[in-house]
Amino acid sequence: MITLSKKLKQQAGPKKEPEPESRRISIRDKLLVKEVQEMEENMPRTCRVQFDDPSVLHHFCLYISPDEGYWQGGRFKFEIDVPDDYNIVPPKARCLTKIWHPNITENGEICLSLLRQNSYDGLGWAPTRRLKDVLWGLNSLFSDLLNFEDPLNVEAAEHYARDREAFKIKVRDYIQAYAKR
Amino acid sequence: MAEEMDVDREADKETSSKPEKMFTLKKWNLVAMWSWDVECDTCAICRVQVMDACLRCQSENKQDDCVVVWGDCNHSFHNCCMSLWVKQNNRCPLCQQEWVVQRIGK
Repeated sequence: MITLSKKLKQQAGPKKEPEPESRRISIRDKLLVKEVQEMEENMPRTCRVQFDDPSVLHHFCLYISPDEGYWQGGRFKFEIDVPDDYNIVPPKARCLTKIWHPNITENGEICLSLLRQNSYDGLGWAPTRRLKDVLWGLNSLFSDLLNFEDPLNVEAAEHYARDREAFKIKVRDYIQAYAKR
Repeated sequence: MAEEMDVDREADKETSSKPEKMFTLKKWNLVAMWSWDVECDTCAICRVQVMDACLRCQSENKQDDCVVVWGDCNHSFHNCCMSLWVKQNNRCPLCQQEWVVQRIGK
């Protein structure tokens, strides 16, 4: 026999399934609502961010236009992806503009300590860090954090050590070819 | 200065001789705020006060199970936030010291 209470039970049944995935996402998104706002309020003047979908805060592009140093005059596009497990894990960043840089490979991999998930010094990722720190960190790869001593693109660092002028010319050539504003 | 004060007093006398009340106090509501007297009152991981349930427990309706953990370094976090973090890196996110639990509770 079909009774109302049975019907209600059937309807309620499948809905009670826990959805850990979507819940975890909502934690990230709750954090991002505040952090995106904070990031936009504390943006270095050389940075601009672009959200393709304003309702998706975990994926956006960052444009850095350095106003000093070797990469001055170029505009470099970065892709930032914030994983579900944020802020236990760091955001993922890639450089989409081809660049000649000791700490960024030509494929876009970036060496920046605060983006490192497992580190045993105090410089790696910690949940106390925010999106604005990531932005400032990436921006500093063109100035303060530029590091020829601990390169990811070893060839670029060796190029610099061997012939600084030739390094500068190659940087300019890459900007002309790939990073024009 | 002295002259001015005299003038003020005379003015006071004039107004007090005419008892004309513009306002009367009818009701007075006092509001008091309180918070826990602890050093680090916001969980640096989920950024909710440690004495409230963390973001995860709030969304999973497990407010009552959400307890606080103190480390030897005297920094405090939600126990569930911290247990997620130590799986990745067994250090206090605030001072980078090796994480050793001192106390768990409310």
